[in-house]
Amino acid sequence: MTAEVQEGVWVGQEPSWDSPINRGTHCAKGASVRELVKGERRLKYPMKLVNGEWTRISWDVAFDEISKKMLEIRAKSGPESVWFLGSAKFSNEGAYLFRKFAAYWGTNNVDHQARICHSTTVAGVANTWGYGAQTNSYNDIRNSKTMIIMGGNPAEAHPVSLQHVLSGKEINRANLIVIDPRMTRTAAHATEYVRMRPGTDIPVIWGMLHHIFKNGWEDKAFIQQRVYGMDMVRKEVEKWTPAEVERVTGIPGAQLEKVAKTFATEKPSTLIWCMGATQKTVGTANVRAFCTLLLATGNVGAPGTGANIFRGHCNVQGATDLGVDIGTLPLYYGLDDGAWKHWARVWETDFDWFKSRFDTTKAPDGKDISMMGVPGIPSTRWFDAVTLPKDQVAQRDNLKGVFVMGHGGNSIPRMPEMTKGLEALELMVVCDPHPTTFAHISNRKNGTYLLPMSTQFECSGSRTASNRSLQWGEKVVEPIFESANDYWVMHTFAQKLGFADKMFKNITMVKGKFGMEPEAESVLREINRGGWSTGYCGQSPERLKAHMKNQDKFDLVTLRAPKDAPAEVAGDYYGLPWPCWGTPEYRHPGTHQLYNTNLHVKDGGGTFRARFGVEYDEPQADGTKKKINLLAEGSFSKDSELKDGYPQFTYGVLKKLGWDKDLTEAEKGVIEKIGGNAPDGVSWAIDLSGGIQRVALEHGCIPFGNGKARVNAWQLPDPVPVHREPIYTPRTDLVAQYPTRPDYKHFRLPNIGFTVQKAAVDKGIAKEFPIILSSGRLVEYEGGGEETRSNPWLAELQQDMFVEISPADAADRGIKDGGWVWVTGPENGSKARMKALVTERVGKGVAWMPFHFGGWFMGEDQRSKYPKGADPFVLGESVNTITTYGYDPVTGMHEGKVTLCQIRAA
Amino acid sequence: MTSMLSKVIRTGLLSLVFGLFVVAMPASAQQPSSVNPTAQSVKEAQLLDALKPGQSLAGRVSIPNKDAANLIQPGRDWRAFNQETLPRIGTIAILGVLALLVLFYLVRGKIRIDAGPSQMRITRFGSVDRFVHWLTATSFIALAITGANVTFGKSVLMPMMGPEAFSAWSGMAKLIHNYVGFAFMAGVALTFLIWVKDNIPGATDLKWILVGGGLLSKGTHPPAKRFNGGQKIVFWSVVLGGAFLSLSGWHLLFPTAEGMAEAQWHATLHGTVAFVMTALIIGHIYIGSVGMEGAFDAMASGEVDLNWAKEHHSLWVKEEMERKSGSRISGAAQPAE
Amino acid sequence: MARMKFLCDADRCIECNACVTACKNEHEVPWGINRRRVVTLNDGKPGERSVSMACMHCTDAPCASVCPVSCFYTTADAVVLHSKDLCIGCGYCFYACPFGAPQYPKTGNFGSRGKMDKCTYCAGGPEDDNSQAELDKYGRNRLAEGKLPLCAEMCSTKALLAGDGDIIASIYKERVAKRGYGSGAWGWKVAYKETIAI
Repeated sequence: MTAEVQEGVWVGQEPSWDSPINRGTHCAKGASVRELVKGERRLKYPMKLVNGEWTRISWDVAFDEISKKMLEIRAKSGPESVWFLGSAKFSNEGAYLFRKFAAYWGTNNVDHQARICHSTTVAGVANTWGYGAQTNSYNDIRNSKTMIIMGGNPAEAHPVSLQHVLSGKEINRANLIVIDPRMTRTAAHATEYVRMRPGTDIPVIWGMLHHIFKNGWEDKAFIQQRVYGMDMVRKEVEKWTPAEVERVTGIPGAQLEKVAKTFATEKPSTLIWCMGATQKTVGTANVRAFCTLLLATGNVGAPGTGANIFRGHCNVQGATDLGVDIGTLPLYYGLDDGAWKHWARVWETDFDWFKSRFDTTKAPDGKDISMMGVPGIPSTRWFDAVTLPKDQVAQRDNLKGVFVMGHGGNSIPRMPEMTKGLEALELMVVCDPHPTTFAHISNRKNGTYLLPMSTQFECSGSRTASNRSLQWGEKVVEPIFESANDYWVMHTFAQKLGFADKMFKNITMVKGKFGMEPEAESVLREINRGGWSTGYCGQSPERLKAHMKNQDKFDLVTLRAPKDAPAEVAGDYYGLPWPCWGTPEYRHPGTHQLYNTNLHVKDGGGTFRARFGVEYDEPQADGTKKKINLLAEGSFSKDSELKDGYPQFTYGVLKKLGWDKDLTEAEKGVIEKIGGNAPDGVSWAIDLSGGIQRVALEHGCIPFGNGKARVNAWQLPDPVPVHREPIYTPRTDLVAQYPTRPDYKHFRLPNIGFTVQKAAVDKGIAKEFPIILSSGRLVEYEGGGEETRSNPWLAELQQDMFVEISPADAADRGIKDGGWVWVTGPENGSKARMKALVTERVGKGVAWMPFHFGGWFMGEDQRSKYPKGADPFVLGESVNTITTYGYDPVTGMHEGKVTLCQIRAA
Repeated sequence: MTSMLSKVIRTGLLSLVFGLFVVAMPASAQQPSSVNPTAQSVKEAQLLDALKPGQSLAGRVSIPNKDAANLIQPGRDWRAFNQETLPRIGTIAILGVLALLVLFYLVRGKIRIDAGPSQMRITRFGSVDRFVHWLTATSFIALAITGANVTFGKSVLMPMMGPEAFSAWSGMAKLIHNYVGFAFMAGVALTFLIWVKDNIPGATDLKWILVGGGLLSKGTHPPAKRFNGGQKIVFWSVVLGGAFLSLSGWHLLFPTAEGMAEAQWHATLHGTVAFVMTALIIGHIYIGSVGMEGAFDAMASGEVDLNWAKEHHSLWVKEEMERKSGSRISGAAQPAE
Repeated sequence: MARMKFLCDADRCIECNACVTACKNEHEVPWGINRRRVVTLNDGKPGERSVSMACMHCTDAPCASVCPVSCFYTTADAVVLHSKDLCIGCGYCFYACPFGAPQYPKTGNFGSRGKMDKCTYCAGGPEDDNSQAELDKYGRNRLAEGKLPLCAEMCSTKALLAGDGDIIASIYKERVAKRGYGSGAWGWKVAYKETIAI
């Protein structure tokens, strides 16, 4: 997107033709972004609630009052009682600073939208082959011969991606198979549409594998060389005969066999998924089943293959990478001491100082452990941490304050309960260009602040696309009204809270709208200095800006600039998709397709990451343990000097290979300083010199080792995925055989999914609420929709919240297309009033709602509770008023895609 | 009332004559075990071939304007009607009636009072009657002129006035037409209310019509009540034609989201009825003014010559005489009060 | 001179509405005026296709033919434009248009029609190219700047094509030949009295 600006006002928007990702094209939202910065419905100045009335305040007052209250909560209840919710709208630099901010405050209670979109993908994929991200790219789909889109509707959620999907479909006459409960706009362009019952993804995949194994369509050599655990999958898959699959999923055996054969034999094949797969109590298991299908058919690590996970928002990939997450520091280092020490070195802040910032808690053995190693409370559950009895929340005290930057308040299920949580908070801070649902839904009277923030167009920085490419975006105009950018606000709060000097020690300050603020370029350089684990080390601001300048030099399909392109980009992949190894000066081109052994590592080649160790003690049926080799066998990347699997590189490994002599003295110096008295243990991921990475690459090896992918993730619940019925299922006859997991504690909270499922069955909820409710996206809106519903061009196109209902169900209930209906849910006496859209998109017994609406709650129009002039043009009921309990055991993902409801004419 | 009538017209005539929109090809209700949406996709050519005249290819849109759901309405019938048929109807109707009148005038001349003026006057129309008549009459004339401008202005006036002046005039004409339409609707409604009881057709009228009202030859005066057969034809034409004009006009004035076919139907109806009525009214004006001695007085002063009344409304005069025993007859000797 | 046309390849169109909002944003078109819209046929059924539709800039345009004040004119590029100075908002062009292109702001008397508004092919109106008056009445004039309509330029899947009729027809033909299917050049038969042989 290219903006035309006259005298500080954004007047025109022209396509950026040369962008290899979108080639100048947009969807409804992209085509009207200029409106965001005109912003007639934006929040215009800081406000707070005074006895229930919105009152204008100054930034100074806001900073003083909020930070004072935060420190008060900290003193009284500890740092863990303030919960931070960040945003996929941050630039990479903003996301990084937000995570860093929480670290300096002293909590891991920091989360963002990825929790509710692809947290299960990241967990599932990373636990399979090393990194939790899209393996290939939108553009690479042009190489596919078969595409399965399952649990995703990219035509509405990722319209620009359809350019590549449909081009691939046309150029290769490729098979486009859509497996979805709903006949979506994407399915309309499929060559095969398969309707399934919501919540039965694993039986569908296992059903396909059943046919594949039975007919010998699997890629035996690939499995033997590069995959661990397929035998255990075979055993599970045996149970999923075509008859059982049809009984559970509703898909006829013949159709699934055809799909399985196509996918396994008309290669390269790719699997594309979205929230349909992830937003389930079995989200992580679903994702691992998907990965298993790809591995079984040898469809990973080559052009046209892979797990093409489509991510939303402008920077949800980057915000995930940079650790706006309860379970890790930036770039997936995790939370253990090693991770903290690595970042403490990068940040040049004493590790023990960090420790002093955190609470301690009692381990089961009675020992004190620091909360700095304990994952925080996920965004799906924060209100439980406010309202549950204190003894059920595994931290010093309940949550007392919530600090939100760029996250909607209607994106998470169980809104009636969230509202109670909101009302119980002492402090609620919403930093956003719009008031969001948080501002109006509760009956709070005081202690609520709205701070007007810039949009991404008023803030420079890098953003990471779904395919791991980074793009630099220049600020188009200064933030309008009194809104401010993320950098300045975080810096000012850090000042007020007393840790700005430490936190911004190595970051250049520049003159901004309201005074000195951190410079985005400088923040990115700090990310580069610490981002070794994920290959965020090579994408310097200079290189990214050179890419933006030379967009036209990159190939549409390979994303690579030719050798004769200008030197600053020659040979690079567009946006230096991570991992981009080594220092920026090393000029690694980035990695277009992960794990591609057909390329030299210096050309973006790679192997599966040896992330799960070298060997595994596999428990046997007789109770003994057998050592299993987890390194690749006979498979290696092109021209690798090691012609077999190998572990991750450390200083010690280099020494063993005799390659340590290739390190420079300076590099050795850095490594030895980091390692102290055990320098051999310094790995490629914490070597701040980049020397270990450089030497490994020079020998044709990938720093993270050459391991096997695993389809038996032994430390996770259900190491081999098994089917489990949704918490609220209409098929109560299947619950006994396929129950959800037993109750347990995770993320500091109890998860009582089993109890809820059992109670629902016992009480006959499915009779009272017979319709499956699923939810999804409209192309016009995004997320909670506050921003897009405030854009007149978009709002005009979708003026009413609606529920899709099948003609049969509508006829049974006397419901007319366009008529008003009440939708009721099985929890909290929830109800919502909206219009009916009678359509064959959904099958009988299934209803579907878009999730972007807010501003009405349980039938009540809350427009009057918005600050004047900041109410979106379009308001409506939120689907999450109706959605219910249910959380993935690995990530705390909610079950937003399957629940039950009843619908009647209003 | 109007809306009910309009409903009748809409649901009855419209759906019969034009049909409504069809949604393209019903899909099979049962999902077969294998679905290839690409291979099954709708094709424009097939959908167009399957369309009946007046129908459109319609689908679904998310915006509230349901007209927008009509993708293509291929029929060009209305254009042909509007550009060729309607001007032809208008030309034939107006020039035709003028020609007839000229011919009639040449043959029959002005119709005199056979017995000559009596100097005795009888009150035929009170002030209410006359107000309603002139309300309807003046508004009709304004509407006819501004309406005809839409059909003929472009070819007749624009070459003389130039596009800017013509557009300014037409814009004004549109405004006049839109506002005056309400006056006309009121006029038609009142006309109906005040005169309907005297306009129920009867055997007398049949006789009157059979002898051509006596207009064709001197000395023939078929008996008639307050309104003779000819006037009843005018009355019912005005009432029914006016109703059609009003209903179709109302729809054109307040476009509803009922689709293009319906809008075209209303425009067709409006134009056709308007020209037919214009022709009829020209005849009415002729006979009420230059065509017949003494007729104009009825709507001017409201009092007509007794002899004129006896000749054209003999039964009515008799009725009036009996009822009021001459009290309402006035003459030079007996000045009106 | 080129003969400008629109072509919506419905086998590519995904109803993303980029064309709609691109148009709205570019020309600041108010609520209720839809110069361009996307219609989905057979919604929710196998066979569903979405088509983006606006003024097709017809050959022998019916709107121009029925306009009682002759406010329409055709440019050298065969773009059908109109003068809002001459338009009297009578609605006849709407009755005649096969594509529902003419739109009317509800500013006229009785809340009925104001002066007609429709897709200009991003080519403005009779005023001087890129003058303020032209911008205010008709929106931007991209054609005069050598650019094509923004709706087509921003189309997410390159379904909507704008440009010289022969060129876009050949692009469409090539696509159909390559992929082996095509639901047709929607509106061409009605607007241009021709079809693209497949």
